[in-house]
Amino acid sequence: MADARHPARPPQPPIRRDWWSKSFAGVLLGFTLAIALSGLVTWVGPGGPLAMNKFQFTMWIVAPVWLGVVSFCFLFRSGLRAWLWLGGANLLAYAALLASRGPLPH
Amino acid sequence: MAIRTDVVRLYREVHTWTGILTGLILFVCFHAGALTMFKEPLERWITPPADAAPAAFERAADLITITKALRPNVTDFTLAVEPVLTGDAPLRLTWTDERIDPAPWAATLAPDGTVTVDRLDPSGIGLLVDVLHRTAGIPGDLDIGTMVTGIASALYVVALVSGVIILLPSLVKDFLALRVTANLKRLWLDAHNVLGLISLPFHIVIALTAVVFGLHDQIYDALDEVVYDGRMRTVMVASSPFRSVAKDTTPAAMLPPWEFLHRAQALSPGFHPVSLEYHDAGTRAATVRVWGHDPRHLVRREGFVLMGAVDGRIIDTEYMPGHQGGWSATVSTFFALHFGSFGGELVRWSYFVLGLAGALLFYTGNLLWIESRRRTERRAGGPVMQSRATSLLAAGTVGVCLGCVGGLSVTIAAGKWLNGTVTDLHAWHWGIYYAAFLGACGWAFLRGAARAGVELLWASAAATAAIPATSLLGWLLPALGPWGPGGLIGVDLVALAGALGLGGMARLAGRRARRGPRDSVWSARTAPVDRVLAVPAAE
Repeated sequence: MADARHPARPPQPPIRRDWWSKSFAGVLLGFTLAIALSGLVTWVGPGGPLAMNKFQFTMWIVAPVWLGVVSFCFLFRSGLRAWLWLGGANLLAYAALLASRGPLPH
Repeated sequence: MAIRTDVVRLYREVHTWTGILTGLILFVCFHAGALTMFKEPLERWITPPADAAPAAFERAADLITITKALRPNVTDFTLAVEPVLTGDAPLRLTWTDERIDPAPWAATLAPDGTVTVDRLDPSGIGLLVDVLHRTAGIPGDLDIGTMVTGIASALYVVALVSGVIILLPSLVKDFLALRVTANLKRLWLDAHNVLGLISLPFHIVIALTAVVFGLHDQIYDALDEVVYDGRMRTVMVASSPFRSVAKDTTPAAMLPPWEFLHRAQALSPGFHPVSLEYHDAGTRAATVRVWGHDPRHLVRREGFVLMGAVDGRIIDTEYMPGHQGGWSATVSTFFALHFGSFGGELVRWSYFVLGLAGALLFYTGNLLWIESRRRTERRAGGPVMQSRATSLLAAGTVGVCLGCVGGLSVTIAAGKWLNGTVTDLHAWHWGIYYAAFLGACGWAFLRGAARAGVELLWASAAATAAIPATSLLGWLLPALGPWGPGGLIGVDLVALAGALGLGGMARLAGRRARRGPRDSVWSARTAPVDRVLAVPAAE
């Protein structure tokens, strides 16, 4: 038993299911987070936003990031924690994106 | 590997829900997708062998000149190269009115130098299989069906991750174990795990790329708003192969077609051109895309080099295998991994087999759902009725899966009989497919899963056997209409193997329906109703 080997640590509370709350957090905030991270690669990553066909690559990476968040969001201990953690990650990502975004040629 | 049991339980539920919501859609996508690997041979199987002597490729310039005189407004057209060089097709220009058009226009050069312009009526079985693969057969606008399969693919990614998580704790014990015992649920679970695990890399690649193919419009829209501040068009235009070509409608003479082939070959000796696509032909801004493949590189189905059609200058190589920039080459790799357009025939057959195995994976997934909700006589202490949900899902699984398999087989076989006797063969193909598919679904709900399963398996076996039977009849009795296999025996052999496999499954399913345990949705022996009603509700 894991608990027997670590007698000092109190047993972890079970993971709350919170299906709807967690699913919405994962699908919605996971998508916005993936968009922001893709945007960071667009602006900060090599070549800048206008590198030849880079816009296709940055579109492609949205799917794995988004669905990675959806897949693992059920590990949050509750729906509320999922919203708070993913919301915080979104805030950081969007702050960084806004800071790195520059003008595009017309 | 140790994973907390509550996590495993959580993800078992995630896996169940994502699987049950997408299994049937994905079955159709995978079965049709496996067939897309061989859509050219399928198209040739349905098309009678051409008897007209093809004109030499050197006369393509004449064809373009005469067609321009006959149809001055047609400035965008495609000249097939590969089938002309191999002598399999006449010298022909084609163009379409819409993006996806089953009946393209064609200007064909006869050996005597005359050009006829008419609308082709190809079988379009390749197009049908492709659209079915992309939409799961959801009728109406292509974009709607594509979005539905895109969403299904997103759930499929989550189903894959959750499936791996619940399998990890028992991976060492269960891996590649196929326990053929009286415990049927164990057997289906083992089969499901083995199929899923050995083809996991394929499934991850297909799932993630399918999400992008299905939802790229929505993702681009979001990126446009958030990342590009509404000016993504500028970025896209800056990467377009045509970015440096300015519109100029002044008439100008173009180089002869073989010149473009020479220049593409000089640029990349390993490149095999398959077609030339003209744009704004006959003007100073005329361009030609030399499409082709290169077995040494991971490319989208085909790559191209863009040239000026008047002076033959190379304009863009961003889509030319081996001449791409890093971003373009990476994205081309994603396409190639989905299409299986690399590694030649070995990969092509592997993708075909993996596609069929994937369809089987979703089928076994539904069987497991049914089996794990089974009410047994042993626990209830007497005859039982299965729940409405399991009966409905069993009927739906049988109807959709076998409707798709049988529907595709019967529409392929019918194509050879109908070709030349009906107009708009493509519409006939769709009509036959939908009739068979909906008929199978209706039959399954009408007769119940146990009886319909056996009957539809026999029907699918017969429909698939009709493919080689048609060729055999055409070979023995050419007066009937169909023609023999000619040099194309693969389609008939694969269909024969498929028919034998379906027939074998039909025999097994029949035996289970007649003699298997009575407390199952797959049993055709119904419990006496009065006794069922007398049994108090289980639990």
